[in-house]
Amino acid sequence: MFAVANGQVAASLPSDPWVPVAPPGRAGAPIALDAVSLRVAAPGGDLEILRGASLRVEAGEFVCLLGPSGSGKSTILNLIAGLARPTSGRVLEGESPVVGPGPDRAVVFQEAALFPWLTLRANVEFPLELQGLRGKARAHRSEQLLRMVHLWRFQDRYPHELSGGMRQRGAIARALATDPAVLLMDEPFASLDAQTREILQGELERIWGVTGKTVVFVTHNVREAVRLADRIVLMGTRPGRILHEETIDLPRPRAANDEGVAAVANGLARRIASEVEKVAREEADDAWVAPGAAGALRSRTRLSLLGLWRSAGRSRAS
Amino acid sequence: MAVGRALAGVLRDGTLARAVLTSGVRLAVGYAVALALGVPLGIALARSSLVRQSIGPVVLGLSSVPSICWLPLAILWFGLSEWAIQLVVVLGAALPVAVATESAVRHVPPGIERAARTMGAHGARLMLTVTLPAALPGILAGAKTGWTFALRSLMAGELLFVSGGLGQLLETGRDLGDTALVLAVVVVIVALGRASEVLLFGRVDREIARRWGVEAA
Repeated sequence: MFAVANGQVAASLPSDPWVPVAPPGRAGAPIALDAVSLRVAAPGGDLEILRGASLRVEAGEFVCLLGPSGSGKSTILNLIAGLARPTSGRVLEGESPVVGPGPDRAVVFQEAALFPWLTLRANVEFPLELQGLRGKARAHRSEQLLRMVHLWRFQDRYPHELSGGMRQRGAIARALATDPAVLLMDEPFASLDAQTREILQGELERIWGVTGKTVVFVTHNVREAVRLADRIVLMGTRPGRILHEETIDLPRPRAANDEGVAAVANGLARRIASEVEKVAREEADDAWVAPGAAGALRSRTRLSLLGLWRSAGRSRAS
Repeated sequence: MAVGRALAGVLRDGTLARAVLTSGVRLAVGYAVALALGVPLGIALARSSLVRQSIGPVVLGLSSVPSICWLPLAILWFGLSEWAIQLVVVLGAALPVAVATESAVRHVPPGIERAARTMGAHGARLMLTVTLPAALPGILAGAKTGWTFALRSLMAGELLFVSGGLGQLLETGRDLGDTALVLAVVVVIVALGRASEVLLFGRVDREIARRWGVEAA
């Protein structure tokens, strides 16, 4: 069923009218993270999800957060979205601190969180309705958005009747409905096949180009990050933290198989590999100071001391 | 044959129509009250840890009590009245509805609600326009269970004391040693149960199947 739907989309793309996107929308806003940390309570002590992350995203900039699982990239996204609150540090949109979710910061999730009980069109109109937009204005706006993502013909379909790629395009249209200043995307194309992903990356680049939104895009796919981003923020694990930033000044529009994209991606991939190795080595050192029994003993002692200290801290706290 | 004759007999003298009407009204009232209590109770159980911790185990425990066990208590409280029967019907149906609603609301994919919150939905609006629709297939499954429980409770209640209704017609059959009449009433109950299910839930079921792309649980 998906394959058929995909075929339909591919066939429909060129014939759809070119719609140079929605209204003279709100331009992007800058985002700033200032020494942001997040700890959550877990059995066996606090878990440090993110440590001291500072980051500035300029208005209209396309930034990719790139890193392995557990590096806190989705956490940063949730913090900007206002779905999580930092333990320490500040998150700012423009000049004002983020205190909760709001329609000025739209989110596209990995699994299109389209509402299954609403048609595609009703899904796109849902946030418009929340904003009190009615009648003709609402219908006009949702038509514009659906045309922008080439889904106008599918407006009456329910999400389960659409392919994965179509659902993600629908989610993008819905996210843009409230004309947000910031578009937050959490691995939005991760569950799509390579071809569909490539098409959607192109569409996203185009939509971003026309709307001028600030985009923060989370991915663990190096090539996807290089293909899309103005700047890549490389993240590491345990605890999640920012390791390195890299500006990508390849000409646009790009394609995932451009030589330039491939070269930069390979360089970054090597860097990530060495980073992962380093982290792995550090962890091994922590657990087992090799070689020799003395080292092992020393490390065990240290670990148990650490454990004692931690449990002492816990009992003090409680 | 005998069953058919018995059926024709009660049809002719109007006994059956009266009994069906009496039982039907009781069922409708009791079921409506059960839904009105059970769904909010289920939501409260799913969303408030205070409610869950205080009455959650009680609700779960009571929902496994066959509702007819409440009849003696109901008679003590209300005497041999309409109220006593209604209490049995409502208790029988509301608890399974509440338990199913709780589970349905708790199993709404978190992504759905998170997405709604990023679009600015919160509070009662989030509950009414997002959480409840998302939980609808599960709530509907609970409502169906509630319906059969209401029907069972009603029949049991009617059997046990003089009350009009189908249950009493069964009891009359037993008193007269009229097996054919008893079986005829059972046939009527089966037909009514089936018809009410199709009438009440058929359309909603089809709509859910169309939207979600699956058969409702």
